Amino acid sequence: MSLLNAWKQAALTSRSTGLKHLITSTRLVSSESSSTPANKKSGEIVTPEAPRDVLVADVISGAPTELRHRPVRIYQPTRNTMQSGSGKSERWRIDFDILPGGGRWENPLMGWASSADYMQGTRLSFRSKEDAVHFAEKQGWDYYIQQTTVKRIPPKNYAENFLYRPSKLRILRTK
Amino acid sequence: MLRLVSTASRPSSAGRLGKTAVPPKGRRAFASTSAKHADISLTVDGKEVTVPQGSALIQACEAAGATIPRFCYHDRLAIAGNCRMCLVEVERSPKPVASCAMPAMPGSKVWTNTPLVHEAREGVMEFLLANHPLDCPICDQGGECDLQDQSMRYGSDRSRFHEITGKRAVEDKNLGPLVKTSMNRCIQCTRCVRFANEVAGVEDLGTTGRGNDMQIGMYVEKTMNSELSGNVVDLCPVGALTSKPYAFHARPWELKNTESIDVTDAVGSNIRVDSRGVRVMRVQPRTNDDVNEEWISDKARYAYDGLTFQRLTAPLIKQGDRFVAATWEEALSAIADGLAKTGAQGDEIQAIAGHLADTESLVALKDLINCLGSDNLATDQLGGTAPPVHGVDVRSNYLFNPTIPGIEQADAILLVGTNPRHEAAVLNSRIRKSWLHTTLEVGFIGERVDTAYGYDYLGQDIKAVQEFVAGKGEFAAKFKAAKKPLIIIGSAISEHPDGASVYNQLASYVQTHKNKLLTPEWNGFSVLQRAASRSAAYDIGFVSSAKAAKTTPKFIYLLNADEVDPKSISKDAFVVYQGHHGDLGAQLADVCLPGAAYTEKSTTWVNTEGRAQLGSAAVPPPGASRDDWKIIRALSEVLNVQLPYEDVLALRDRMWEISPTLVRYDAVESTSPDVALAGLKVLVESTKKAAFKGLPFEKPIKNFYMTDPISRASVTMAQCTRAFTGDQESGISDEKGLQAAFA
Ligand code: SF4
Ligand code: FES
Repeated sequence: MSLLNAWKQAALTSRSTGLKHLITSTRLVSSESSSTPANKKSGEIVTPEAPRDVLVADVISGAPTELRHRPVRIYQPTRNTMQSGSGKSERWRIDFDILPGGGRWENPLMGWASSADYMQGTRLSFRSKEDAVHFAEKQGWDYYIQQTTVKRIPPKNYAENFLYRPSKLRILRTK
Repeated sequence: MLRLVSTASRPSSAGRLGKTAVPPKGRRAFASTSAKHADISLTVDGKEVTVPQGSALIQACEAAGATIPRFCYHDRLAIAGNCRMCLVEVERSPKPVASCAMPAMPGSKVWTNTPLVHEAREGVMEFLLANHPLDCPICDQGGECDLQDQSMRYGSDRSRFHEITGKRAVEDKNLGPLVKTSMNRCIQCTRCVRFANEVAGVEDLGTTGRGNDMQIGMYVEKTMNSELSGNVVDLCPVGALTSKPYAFHARPWELKNTESIDVTDAVGSNIRVDSRGVRVMRVQPRTNDDVNEEWISDKARYAYDGLTFQRLTAPLIKQGDRFVAATWEEALSAIADGLAKTGAQGDEIQAIAGHLADTESLVALKDLINCLGSDNLATDQLGGTAPPVHGVDVRSNYLFNPTIPGIEQADAILLVGTNPRHEAAVLNSRIRKSWLHTTLEVGFIGERVDTAYGYDYLGQDIKAVQEFVAGKGEFAAKFKAAKKPLIIIGSAISEHPDGASVYNQLASYVQTHKNKLLTPEWNGFSVLQRAASRSAAYDIGFVSSAKAAKTTPKFIYLLNADEVDPKSISKDAFVVYQGHHGDLGAQLADVCLPGAAYTEKSTTWVNTEGRAQLGSAAVPPPGASRDDWKIIRALSEVLNVQLPYEDVLALRDRMWEISPTLVRYDAVESTSPDVALAGLKVLVESTKKAAFKGLPFEKPIKNFYMTDPISRASVTMAQCTRAFTGDQESGISDEKGLQAAFA
């Protein structure tokens, strides 16, 4: 998570340079990921990378500044365990953590949930992680990526039901 | 303004801020241990795929990206092959074949989307629907029902079957307070039966009758007594088994899902919290093969209703013998006054970390207490005020070193003073899985319990440990012969008066047998924690020094601590309780500060393996409650020892400084054998002179359904206690009271 901060530094600097870019109308957007070699030793001190040339959308979009202080999560939603279909779990999703305190309350009139959080209904899907990262960078959002878990399903075989085991019987099948 | 950033946690993958995934080092996955077969290739829908030999055809089709509809096949259960929905066409086969029951053959040509396949599946669907009630509008499965979805594709608009007697009617079964049955809807896929057989170890859920008369049930009037029973609700592809507490509460499309981490035990099961508005409506498991596969315990799944009862919603200050609601300012200054009035200095200031304290707040609290000049940090357990016997200097002394998936490689397990079935239900199912499929031998020392697998009972106290270490007995011989032996020490052992000598015996056993128990691939010495916060507390060194443990505290800060012994708190001490429930800890307090529960904060949890995982907030905390670390941060300002972090990211930087493993999410960092050996050496040295009394080891969890303030406040868990533990004193007086609590 300390990286998030480092990134935030970079993002802020790129924000301040954003306007300059606007004036000179050089607009370079890059979605390339970190090029730092990952094999450096721990404990080593490195300076944050130089800001990259991303014109952050909120320089001109007029999005509220508070939005910048809310890191987004980029992840692949897992399959709903209630169903066997794995649809939609290929996509990468960006969503916002809830706003603590005042983000939601029960409306006294109808008992429905009201919200002061304009991002609570926003949930974006992307075809790849890079797309999602690129989008978050363009918006100037801090983000972190939740790695997807590796699925390990052993090869399955109907014949296993009838496998002979010389040792003591350990299961009584009631099927 | 430069920041110190180490590249140690720099992700190697594409993301700049990714969580680093450290590959499980030198360890082979379960899938690859089962006899390395050659790969075979076949053609599915004209696409060439290669799968390991021995795979089912349905797995090959999936690998080729073809979706096969199914009801009975499930990745984590044995193959049954009785729904026939997965029919595909195979070249040179006269009839369509059930792809789940058919092994993938090299060179075969398979089609999954031909008119023949469609017709076959439509036929199957028509049979299934012939007896299926048309009650989707009132069925809880509606919206996430496999039958509903697949009938959109393979169902026809009318049936050719018209029973004169009407549709088949089956009596509903009573499976207890968690699983609601509506047996008319059952399509006899037998997933629930296979789950109970294989995973849960409840071998009395089964089928009776044949053909149209086949029924699922417990044979006799009996409830399904398993701590994993809730999972059959997920498995059931139709609405025959649904969740009783959730019945008619919400529809799946109304729910907002938040992926988070469970805290009811130390496994750190991955969960998905489904919420609507400001309420948690249900908790579902999330698949993660490294932790909980696809299962969660009933407590994790159903204790959520406790989140709405007994909550602390405003800061409270004790006046006389009652609590008065106050503002945050008043409460915080009352604490500052209280601290000044007691005159607590140095080690007289004590903090106790409870089971549900998150890592962020633990770090903040430790920093705060240290800033106040005290070293008196305790964990909320028996003898938690003293430094723990295993020490906290080396991680492998108190963690579950072989990792949870690693259990499947063990070929002999010794359980000491633990009942994993109740302390870590999902982990227990791994042991059972391995016990069923391999020749795993389990030895057991402690109070006799039903573990869902057979074990050699060695004894109930330190004597059994000594005999085992001396190599006496049949199991000790088996253990010695094992290739990957595993010793699991329960968390209750360190609370036991004989704990030190148990650790001493077992640690020296590991030392002498280090060629098997401590190799670069295998660390067979493990401690099974049972509290979600404990590993994190040890990781950050939330333990007292020997000197501090001897002082009588005058100011006590209870962070989510609800197991404390009221007698251990002296009358004139000033007690602050921070937590989310008005449970035991709050009763003792002079000031209560309302915190957030695990569904309401995005915090780090470290599970028993030492795996840090990030939970996320699904709903806002009620009333005036706040994120726990923010409360401590605010308090630090009032006490004039301002903590240096302003936001959670800065706090996580601080955590990174303490131990990078705390923020390296989803990864387990294994301890190298040399360091682990050094740790054991220290452990043996420090416990050398330990005396023992020979008292029997008792199981720490008497009632699985009520172990923390959330589950104690939960009506569902109270019902379970009543139904499964036969405890009539479960907090609900009678049926009427129960109704009232529901309304
Ligand atoms: S109750 Fe559900 S899971 Fe069990 S056999 Fe019937 S349809 Fe399958
Ligand atoms: S999924 Fe193959 S027969 Fe049921």
